[in-house]
Amino acid sequence: MDLITSMLQTSILAGGVLALAALGEVLAERVGVVNLGVEGLMALGAITAIATVVTTGSPAAGFVLALIVGLAVGMVFATIVVQVRANQVLCGLALTLMGTGFAATIGRAYSGMPAPAVFAPFELPYLSSLPLIGRALFSQNVLVYLTYFVLPALIHLLMFRTRHGLNLRAVGENPAAADAAGIAVQKIRFWYVAAGAALAAGAGAYLTLAFVPSWSEGVVAGRGWIAVALVIFAGYRPLNAVLAALLFGVITSLGFVGQARNWPVAAPILSMLPYLGTIAFIIVPVVAWRRMRLAMAAPAALGVPYHRDLR
Amino acid sequence: MALRLQRLPSSSPAAAIVARVAAVALALAAAGTLLAAGGARPLDLAGQVLRSTFGSDFGLEDVGLLLTPLILTGLSVAVALRIGAWNIGADGQFYAGAFAASGVALFIPGPTVLMLPLMFVAGAAGGLVWILIPTLARAFAEVSELITTLLLNFVATLLVYYVSTGPWLDPGGHALATTARLVHDVPEFWGLIHWGFPLTIVICLVVAATLGFTKWGYEVRIAGSNPQAAAYAGIPFRRRLVAVMLLSGAIAGVAGMLEVAGTVHRLQGGISNNFGYLGIMVAVLARGSCVGVIAAAALMAVILNSGIVLQTQGVNTSTVLAITGLILFFTAIGDELAHFRLVRARPAES
Repeated sequence: MDLITSMLQTSILAGGVLALAALGEVLAERVGVVNLGVEGLMALGAITAIATVVTTGSPAAGFVLALIVGLAVGMVFATIVVQVRANQVLCGLALTLMGTGFAATIGRAYSGMPAPAVFAPFELPYLSSLPLIGRALFSQNVLVYLTYFVLPALIHLLMFRTRHGLNLRAVGENPAAADAAGIAVQKIRFWYVAAGAALAAGAGAYLTLAFVPSWSEGVVAGRGWIAVALVIFAGYRPLNAVLAALLFGVITSLGFVGQARNWPVAAPILSMLPYLGTIAFIIVPVVAWRRMRLAMAAPAALGVPYHRDLR
Repeated sequence: MALRLQRLPSSSPAAAIVARVAAVALALAAAGTLLAAGGARPLDLAGQVLRSTFGSDFGLEDVGLLLTPLILTGLSVAVALRIGAWNIGADGQFYAGAFAASGVALFIPGPTVLMLPLMFVAGAAGGLVWILIPTLARAFAEVSELITTLLLNFVATLLVYYVSTGPWLDPGGHALATTARLVHDVPEFWGLIHWGFPLTIVICLVVAATLGFTKWGYEVRIAGSNPQAAAYAGIPFRRRLVAVMLLSGAIAGVAGMLEVAGTVHRLQGGISNNFGYLGIMVAVLARGSCVGVIAAAALMAVILNSGIVLQTQGVNTSTVLAITGLILFFTAIGDELAHFRLVRARPAES
């Protein structure tokens, strides 16, 4: 009983990091841009958050500043891949190398320092006293509510229930047709890539402000890449992405539980679980349910820069 | 007379080379400006780097030691790129190769003459096994190899960390997180430079020749540049893809084997030194050319070695990683710009 509640609590915290980053990647990929810089953006967000909270003592300021840093870096990235149309794979890898390297350079001064303040849990009245799931679901910090309830709902409604959402999906599926219909392809791509980058950096801030409240080199540990893989697993849908992230939270917490209860498996082996799980989850569904492929397919113009004059 | 920019479907070789050189120069200039803003004196640093790299046998030895793994991981990525596959997992395959070769050295007794070739085969097999699942998933289920190869890097890192701190920990107990010293060494021929270096050059040239001059290599290149045309010409794309990706993994595995047997002599965490990721840089700078990999690896080795020099000046290795990212960024931009040429604008037809 207690075990399930605490496992669920850890799962939700761990999954939230992935959910936030995956939501950002859904935005970018839906308009046709693969951003492989998530890992680097998360590192930048994580160090920005820690540096801010150490200086100002305010986790909210840390989170907001991480979003701003993510947006700024995302705008540079978008300028290069959307306006200049440079190779998206290369630029994403470059962003990851730069982000992790730069964050580690600044981070040296903050290494191992615990965050002086983190987001405090906020109990939702009545709901938090529900048996089993109450404490885990409704006694979390504000970032958790934002990531699991507010943002996915907003993004889902925007994407599938508005005309603007139809436009943005058209940009990712067939930019030439969208362009002919008068939709500003480049502008939409630019802003959604930048917004997605802001969320990725926000995920990094979530990591150091709410999950592992301190900075160390390699703290992001591939979570950015797992988030990119989750988007594929989720079939590029925001609600699925959050559920998939939660599933990975469960896998991560399984590792923690194993360590805490002294399972006869070494800690590094347990730490492999999220990576092996991710690989299994992007391969198994495609092999097992071949017919799902169409429904879960990537946007048709994903990764392809749009040149109006080469149409 | 009005001029306008026209985009060509492919860039001319001259423009491509100019773009690459300019990209590296601009990226280094940008990095220098950033370092200067941080209070360092980039020109002094650059002088110091060049002196300590080329001014002594010691510096040249360091560069030579870095060259071997960089050429091989770069070659690994470049070979996969030839058929249009991104092997971002050379780091993991490097660890797997080092792991397999160390296992052979630690647990199978035998004379060094026999054991070194066996370790070589084990290293190649380790790298091959490590890329097997991403390869099959890409070939038979169209699962992007980019992410699967990359995630296996973390698994390999954890595996090597686990064995070198757990079951394979040095029973002598002097070292904390490493296996015992491997008894078989790749012999050295100049200072610390071992025979793995010339072997690497040979591997590189053999792979280049195979891709450049054989029917198999020709088919791989066609399949990589235009899968539809390849299918039309009756080239079995899937079979070529599997073969090339497995070769790519095996090459990265050999890099790991040579690093443990020639340079480090023990299996320990962090042994890959990011060589797998730097291999991506090397392959991109070389434009996927196997011979170009040697030149690109030399440039990377000098940059990496300057990282070691810079460390004494308070600039750390993560900064060097950031600088390589900057070079990659500028290269990607330069690549795109190399597609444009200035043409005279014709009056619009009416």
